Amino acid sequence: MEDGIRLPCFNRAGHVAHAKRCMSALPASQTDIDASRLALAFYNIGILDLLGVMNDGDTISRQNGKDEWLEWLWAQQTQGKYGSGFRPSPFMLLHPPAEEFSDYNTPHIIMTYTALLALSILRDDFAKLDRSGLIRLLRACQRDDGSFTTTPGGGESDLRTLYCAFAISAMLDDWSGVDVERAKSFVTSCRTYEGGYGQDLFCEAQGGTTYIALASLYLAPSSSETDPLTLEEKRQTVKWLMSTQTSSGGFCGRTGKVGDSCYCFWCGASLKILKMDHLVETKTLASFLADSQFKFGGIAKCPGEHPDPYHTYLSIAALCMYPPSPLAADEKPDSWEFPELDPLLNARVDTAEWARKYISGKGHRT
Amino acid sequence: MNTEQKQEKLLFAERPEWSDVDPIPQYETSTPIAPILYTPQYKDATDYFRAIVKSGERSERVLQLTEELIRLNPAHYTAWQYRYETLLALSSSLQTELELMNELAIKYLKTYQVWHHRRLLITLLRTPQPELQFIETCLRVDSKNYHTWSYRQWLLSHFVDDDDLWRGELEFIENVIGDDVRNNSAWHHRYFVVFGCGVRSGSEDRARIVRRELIFTKQNISLAPNNPSAWNYLRGILDYNRLPYSLCTRFVKPYTLPLDPNTVDIVDLENPPPSRGAELPCVYAIEFLADIHEKAGDKDNILKGVDLWKSLANEHDTIRKKYWEHRIREALQSAT
Repeated sequence: MEDGIRLPCFNRAGHVAHAKRCMSALPASQTDIDASRLALAFYNIGILDLLGVMNDGDTISRQNGKDEWLEWLWAQQTQGKYGSGFRPSPFMLLHPPAEEFSDYNTPHIIMTYTALLALSILRDDFAKLDRSGLIRLLRACQRDDGSFTTTPGGGESDLRTLYCAFAISAMLDDWSGVDVERAKSFVTSCRTYEGGYGQDLFCEAQGGTTYIALASLYLAPSSSETDPLTLEEKRQTVKWLMSTQTSSGGFCGRTGKVGDSCYCFWCGASLKILKMDHLVETKTLASFLADSQFKFGGIAKCPGEHPDPYHTYLSIAALCMYPPSPLAADEKPDSWEFPELDPLLNARVDTAEWARKYISGKGHRT
Repeated sequence: MNTEQKQEKLLFAERPEWSDVDPIPQYETSTPIAPILYTPQYKDATDYFRAIVKSGERSERVLQLTEELIRLNPAHYTAWQYRYETLLALSSSLQTELELMNELAIKYLKTYQVWHHRRLLITLLRTPQPELQFIETCLRVDSKNYHTWSYRQWLLSHFVDDDDLWRGELEFIENVIGDDVRNNSAWHHRYFVVFGCGVRSGSEDRARIVRRELIFTKQNISLAPNNPSAWNYLRGILDYNRLPYSLCTRFVKPYTLPLDPNTVDIVDLENPPPSRGAELPCVYAIEFLADIHEKAGDKDNILKGVDLWKSLANEHDTIRKKYWEHRIREALQSAT
């Protein structure tokens, strides 16, 4: 299969430029990002991290004002009666800023997870982190069925939020904010007959939520002693995940759908968590992602579409786990080199190590 | 253009009925990440929304404001939350709200909040029946929309004792699969209806149900063999009922071979043969047959399985070559 594939250059400079452009200002057509801007910031900062321009030689810190990014990220930390965490953006913040806490300007669990990772990429020391507030936020958001709402006031609840609560607990190295067993049983109840996991009870197996489910189960503290899946379950899940790689080389999110760059990460990372990454055909995968590159930088969901930071980040994260090999000299091997990725937290290994060390507060310089 | 539409062209700052409210701008640090270049309309609506949230006002005009804001940004979850609370505080007609949502849901089919709001409304209204029709309308726009299917599954499981609600579900899903036999969301929904959501009265005879499902699935495979959704469903039926895959050996075999040009049309419900013109051999059938051999466990069967996996790795499904080789290693190891 891999014979005959000749990869073009991976347009690193273009993707860096695209990420930087998306950090400077967004057109009005992207107003719907208002309530998830921090996630967008994470994807862009993450692209720079994965492409090695963030902490290697420190070019960003001098050119782009890393301090200013840190300032904005920390400005999104909010405290109140439900605890503490990060909001998506100041979209509900009054001018001039009021001191009193509002029920409508609360922290958001998914945004809190992306904030912690973005701050780790920027190598923040987390001296300003309200750790006990985070624990209270997680407690306020867990529901009786084990799932989590996105905000303390309510909001939708599904597996995505549960994963973020687990990732936050893992980075804190403190699981007292969540009822782990109850949460795990919610994850288990989302498993389907196909071997993947749905977003909620009774929902269809989907690549993104399957990643979320597996990452949650393997982040949980007990997973190092007892495997969360039986051998039979694991085999069925691997079979389903493997079946999602389409003839285009890209992975799809559900049975019978077409390849989409973001599922190259979600399904690819799931296989990596299950230690089956050696089974994936890397060169066809890279070829699909190469074809999804946009001429002026950024990666789209599939060839011919427009790029965005979400698909760009996840494509590069997929390549970190599945760098194409072997490469001929005319395939610009230098452009296809990537750092190792921690599949459970979804960050460079050194960034994930930083997160676990400094967010827990156990790595503070004395 | 009617008066309402003209009104919507005006900024809130220009509307006399809002003159008593002081808009509150958004606070932003001096060097924001990815600031959005808001339109004047969005900036205006959010300025008034922040003012309303600060004063805690619950009134009819708040419903108007939040509706307009949601139309500008359907992902504004705080606007949705405040709107819902205002509806309750005013004891507004939730039925009217639902009708408005019929329009918004189709417009913003991929927005989480639209569906979350709808669940909240139906939880209070407890009128699930008309929702089925509404969902069908949505599925006509996008037959695989994840939110829409999740909503249907939530609705049916939330009102699981409502026999009227459930009465036509099997027929419904039969039709959706008939429209597009490769729609995996539809197959998944069938599993939810038949197995996933418990046993309903009238379907206690499980042996009959299993037979019915096997025949249904085999017929669909016979019409379109290279359809992974149907093969996964076939495995689902057997797994759920703890039946051995070998029950299907006779059915599966013809699909693992090149098409026999001398096939005559025979009607065999238990083992419908591949239809004329089918593209064979079928990868999913080969995989299925290999699983049957592997399960049998003796050396002879394992080697038969290995041959099938080899044909997948080297000929019929080369993109998964490494996976099939992994299956071969695994099976040979367990055999020794």
